[in-house]
Amino acid sequence: MPLFSEAGLPASFVALSFADWQSRPEWPAVSLSNTDPVEDLAPHVGRLRLIVLNFPKFSDGRAYSQARLLRGRLGYRGELRATGGVLQDQIPFMLRCGFDSFESEQKGFEEALAKARTLFSVVYQPAEDGRVPASRLRLDHTGPAA
Amino acid sequence: MPDTHFYRYDDYDRTLVAERVDQFRDQVRRRIAGELTEEQFKPLRLTNGLYLQLHAYMLRIAIPYGTLASHQLRKLAEISRKYDRGYGHFTTRQNLQLNWIKLEDAPDALAALAEVDMHAMQTSGNCIRNVTADHFAGAAIDEIEDPRIWCEIVRQWSTLHPEFSFLPRKFKIAITGSPNDRAAVRVHDIGLRLWRNEQGEVGFEVIVGGGLGRTPMIGKTLREFLPRDELLAYLEATLRVYNRYGRRDNLYKARIKILVHEIGAEKMREEVEAEYASIRDSALRLPAETIEAIAEQFAPPVLAERPAISGQVEAERLSNPEFALWLKSNVAPHRVQGHAIVTASLKPAGSPPGDASAAQMDGVADIADAYSQGEIRVSHEQNLIFPHVALDDLPKVYKSLAALGFAEANVGKITDIIACPGLDYCALANARSIPVAQRISTHFAGLAQQHDIGDLKIKISGCINACGHHHVGHIGILGVDKNGVELYQLSLGGDVDFGKTAIGTILGPAVTADKVVEAVDALVATYLDTRSAGERFVDTYRRVGAKPFKERVYAAV
Amino acid sequence: MAKNLSGDLQVASANRLVDGMVVWLDDAGQWTDRLEHAAIARDPRGAEILLERARAESFTVVDPFLVAVSEDDAGVIEPLSLREKIRASGLTFDAIAAEAVRYA
Repeated sequence: MPLFSEAGLPASFVALSFADWQSRPEWPAVSLSNTDPVEDLAPHVGRLRLIVLNFPKFSDGRAYSQARLLRGRLGYRGELRATGGVLQDQIPFMLRCGFDSFESEQKGFEEALAKARTLFSVVYQPAEDGRVPASRLRLDHTGPAA
Repeated sequence: MPDTHFYRYDDYDRTLVAERVDQFRDQVRRRIAGELTEEQFKPLRLTNGLYLQLHAYMLRIAIPYGTLASHQLRKLAEISRKYDRGYGHFTTRQNLQLNWIKLEDAPDALAALAEVDMHAMQTSGNCIRNVTADHFAGAAIDEIEDPRIWCEIVRQWSTLHPEFSFLPRKFKIAITGSPNDRAAVRVHDIGLRLWRNEQGEVGFEVIVGGGLGRTPMIGKTLREFLPRDELLAYLEATLRVYNRYGRRDNLYKARIKILVHEIGAEKMREEVEAEYASIRDSALRLPAETIEAIAEQFAPPVLAERPAISGQVEAERLSNPEFALWLKSNVAPHRVQGHAIVTASLKPAGSPPGDASAAQMDGVADIADAYSQGEIRVSHEQNLIFPHVALDDLPKVYKSLAALGFAEANVGKITDIIACPGLDYCALANARSIPVAQRISTHFAGLAQQHDIGDLKIKISGCINACGHHHVGHIGILGVDKNGVELYQLSLGGDVDFGKTAIGTILGPAVTADKVVEAVDALVATYLDTRSAGERFVDTYRRVGAKPFKERVYAAV
Repeated sequence: MAKNLSGDLQVASANRLVDGMVVWLDDAGQWTDRLEHAAIARDPRGAEILLERARAESFTVVDPFLVAVSEDDAGVIEPLSLREKIRASGLTFDAIAAEAVRYA
């Protein structure tokens, strides 16, 4: 599947399944299913360079929560890759949850990725992309970014 | 934009809604150009409120916490004329549905909505839906705090939430600020009830896992008392637990009520509280200034106290018996003396429940401007409400409503029927709802008779998804399909009142469409013969049980 | 008198993409809003072919499917299920008329 990355690791960089990785936790890349316990990666996030999260279908949103836990709770700073049912209309959500690379077969994905960060100039929630929600900006009495 | 007594969009809100319309316009373009398959497009249109029904697309417009300003209602009328067939259907979730929208027009309809600070975001799809509230909010005599302040805070937090836009299933939140629950908080995915504790602090009881549908359940209290400024952290924790662990293998078991049921309320509480402990002090904690700034916008209109008794009203009451009945059923006390809350009945005898033509919407907007501070509410019982009417104006409001056909003195009565659109419109339905409601309504049209029968809630759904809330009707009617024939299953004893919330019990075998009126007639006759003084239908049923009702119904059909 | 109540006769239906309107596939492979112009499959094999043709023509419609119909001696066809009857002939009650209410 074509890789669209803001992070830089090549597609050939091998990520082990969680089960395999548990026997080789020194390996810097792991691929998680939606039921793998992300919390167990806590002691290792400093060493990991790539975590792949899976969307079994584009409508299955568990990996959004996994991504936020990895970024926000565990402080993971390596590459976070979305694979599986990854469609261009989900990119804004994925970016906000901390994904920075995407495997997708959808035509036009690259162009959509380039535009995704500017599609919405206002956000209402704190998430993992550092964007300041409208409720905070209002306290600063500044106008919208647009 | 005219001044209102509820939340006013600022540039942030307007920018977001406008950008959302642009995004959807591009998605529609790509769908029509064949760049998106229907499977890919469907969740995109659904989260913009657009369904494909039997005959056409249907646009479900959000009316957050059921509150509308007159200029917004006029815009809805205009949109229904321009892009639909000149009428709309107010729903049990305080939304408005337009039944004949074209896909190619939908982006323009949404842009027109945005002109009056409205949208259709998240009125469908597996996301957090439009948040509902007590339709008397801000006017109710028993209110502790206006729940709409919190609905607005939740509306913003949930809108385009990046983590919770692909949940296992839809997610409905309702908030009440009164002990008399008019928002049915125990039958929502999350129900929030504001109350004051012994220390005098106001907080939320958090009720999780209620719902109707295929598996009706009463929600469980996860938190007795949640400090208000921690609301979003608690909601985010609950949604995260649901998003991670809710079932995705079976559509019918994917709601949060099934998760709560399967792991148990105790385990659910542990999971939510653990998650909550990690985020309660995060950026989700609401600063006092944010709460105050939103609360200020809900500051009630300044109404001068007026005499508690109005001479005009008393004179009209004596000369016009229908007005006297209307006062009893359609007018509720207001917190400011000399004022009242008026319910316009969208259930004139024999008409489709909850429907209003564009002309009627304009008329309601005019009445609101003249007599109700320009404000209108939509109730989950599919009626429209004028929240702030001076008693002296009641005769004029009555007369204006009568001219629109919305002055039927039947609120809370047997013809104030809740009904989903049913098989006439809906792609999911198994049987028709509206024609059944119309027949019952026509049969019991006499107002004196209705007032003698007293409070009786009939709720009709055309399929097990229960949009017509049949489970919580005093008389619930569920349409089913048996080998191509519409049959109607009756249930008794449902209720949504707080503390009395109950799921109705099925009476017996389903009856054919042509026997529904006779069956309801038999139920009513049993009640009239059996009731003790002051007993409502549902009280009599609770006292004597199903047996006498059952015998009479099945002797009659 | 209706024949083929068992549902041997089938037409292909869908909703038109741009406006959602109910349409049926005609003999020429075009989508029509007139049920009387619908192509009729008279046996299971014919139904399979009809559905394949409908899917091949589905660029401008949403999710084509087969509808069991009856045909009377005059050749008038009618869907068997209530749902499809309603799709074919519209609401079974009078919708509130847009300008029915006039007020002063």
